[in-house]
Amino acid sequence: MRILIVEDDLEAAEVMDRGLTEAGHECVRAPDGEDGLTAARGGEFDVMIVDRMMPRMDGVTMVQTIRREGDQTPVLFLSALGEITDRVDGLKAGGDDYLVKPYAFAELIARVEALSRRRETGSVQTLLRVGELEMDLIGRAVHRQGKEIDLQPREFQLLEFMMRHAGQSVTRTMLLEKVWEYHFDPQTNVIDVHISRLRSKIDKGFDKPMLQTVRGAGYRLDP
Amino acid sequence: MRLPRLFRTTPFRLTLLFLALFAAAASAFLAYIYLATAGEATRRTDEDIGREMRALQAAYERGGVNVLNQSLIERAASERPFLYLLMTKDGKRISGSIEESPVEEFTGAPARASFSVTDIDVNGRARKHPARGFQEQLRGGEILFVGADISEDQAYVLKIVRALWGAGALVIVLGLLGGLLVSRNVSRSMAGLAEVVTAVRNGDLEARAHVRGTRDEFDELAEGLNEMLDRLERSMAGHRHAGDAIAHDLRSPLTRLRARLETAYLDVEAGKGNAEEALAQALDDTDGVLKTFGAVLSIARLQAAGQAPDQNIFDPAELGGDMAELYEPVCEDKGLDFAAEFAVDLQVRGNREFLAQALANILDNAVKYTPSGGAIMLRVRRRSSGEVEYSVTDTGPGVPDEDRERVVERFVRLENSRSEPGSGLGLSLVAAVAEAHGGRLELAEGPGKVGEMGPGLRVALILPRAA
Repeated sequence: MRILIVEDDLEAAEVMDRGLTEAGHECVRAPDGEDGLTAARGGEFDVMIVDRMMPRMDGVTMVQTIRREGDQTPVLFLSALGEITDRVDGLKAGGDDYLVKPYAFAELIARVEALSRRRETGSVQTLLRVGELEMDLIGRAVHRQGKEIDLQPREFQLLEFMMRHAGQSVTRTMLLEKVWEYHFDPQTNVIDVHISRLRSKIDKGFDKPMLQTVRGAGYRLDP
Repeated sequence: MRLPRLFRTTPFRLTLLFLALFAAAASAFLAYIYLATAGEATRRTDEDIGREMRALQAAYERGGVNVLNQSLIERAASERPFLYLLMTKDGKRISGSIEESPVEEFTGAPARASFSVTDIDVNGRARKHPARGFQEQLRGGEILFVGADISEDQAYVLKIVRALWGAGALVIVLGLLGGLLVSRNVSRSMAGLAEVVTAVRNGDLEARAHVRGTRDEFDELAEGLNEMLDRLERSMAGHRHAGDAIAHDLRSPLTRLRARLETAYLDVEAGKGNAEEALAQALDDTDGVLKTFGAVLSIARLQAAGQAPDQNIFDPAELGGDMAELYEPVCEDKGLDFAAEFAVDLQVRGNREFLAQALANILDNAVKYTPSGGAIMLRVRRRSSGEVEYSVTDTGPGVPDEDRERVVERFVRLENSRSEPGSGLGLSLVAAVAEAHGGRLELAEGPGKVGEMGPGLRVALILPRAA
């Protein structure tokens, strides 16, 4: 993936660059919103990571500008401003996701990869297929090797999210945000419990486990 | 030269403006009254003189100059207020009550004149009276003058004029005095408010405006100002408190982290430690610090704001259902019996995200402290007071009565909970969320002691009725 990193903290940008490059992505860096805007206009990027508070031009203005110009590249806002209103501002300005500083690197990679996937699957799908797993979004039915799996509504949503991001790491925070739509950090392992229930339904009785735990990050659904 | 303070005030300037307008209106009014009264008096006198003149002419028509003379003498001797003079064609006085005609040159055409007559009063003093009269030539050529003393009329008009002037002066003086009084009053109230503003500007946040209890707009303004200052003071205190809290609360975990890193470093240097393990531990510690930081920041921001942002009206049972759905598997996993009960048709006003976090914190605690085999119950109901209450009851060890207030404070962890992970911020955040919604947090004993378990804890998040 080609990723544009717009971040004024050079050290932070460097760390991000290195980490993403190691994860197999190509990174371009811009130290502020204006340079970011020039870079965004010039190159084809799969994802942009944009800091909110920067000199010369802030991230929100930059993203508003590229959105006005018709650029639909997914944008991940990265900000120390983590209040609910800040998130809303960022998403309203055209951001697709919002990550609050300080963040865990695994979280950043998971979110960046999830964003690129969302772009590819822009068209309306009625059937999701990952390996042996099949999800009928209209009939709300799930089958593995032709055998029907009975899921509760929330388990269905959880699996749908995992299937849409198959092969990618998905963090607990992302699941809480995207499936339950909450932005807090529960102290107990609520998400783990829900995942383990889902796992027992889709993996139990089959020889190959599909739902993997990714140490230090979260989960991944493998074909 | 600067005018005295009072004269520079807006109310006083307004008073002057109104006074000027009023004076102009009053002058026009007075002028009209003067013209109406004085003119009327002159016209009446002229009519009277005209009537007298016609009566005398009628006598002349009847019997010539002799009868006229006779009538004139009779009339002059009577109590009539008129002055008469009958002259020959060439202006020689025949008879009458005045010596000569005030009309200086008589051409034959009727003429009128204003003049003065001298009268001797009871004290022997000569007094001049204003008078006016007409002069006409009779058919035989004799000249007849009839006049009247108009001093009384004029005195009357003068009286009116004087009264009008007096009234005008009185109006101006009273207006000025009233204006001064009102201005002083208003200025004093304004000065009081201005003093408060100055005091606050100079850093005294405790200054408050005096409310006189008159329920006028100044009281309203003073009350509004005081309310604003109260909020400002609370908010400032909140911010100050937040800063102190963050500095204080993060010092100990950061010190711990530093100590651990130092020990690990020394160990690795000495070749006896495991660097990877130390790094993993440090990462965990950092996450802990960040979590604490996040919680402290949320609490501090909520307390400083005094009100949760983005409040909406929603059905509390719906949020309760969401939380039940989120936590039921967790309870089952731990071997806890979970039950939920939601009253229908309720409404609360609040920030759903914050309330969800508060409920999650309460449920987290319940799950954490209730031993397996226990039970947890989540309830949403309306209190008789109309308030909406979320309550979580567990069968854990509970919190002793004397500690219930304390556990809500930041970083307070009771002895028997030290073995469990946690920052001691959970309930503080719940309390902050409750307060930011105008509600409160109540801790009470749970269902009581059952076998080995209990007495349990009942945590209630009470929200005011949605207006």
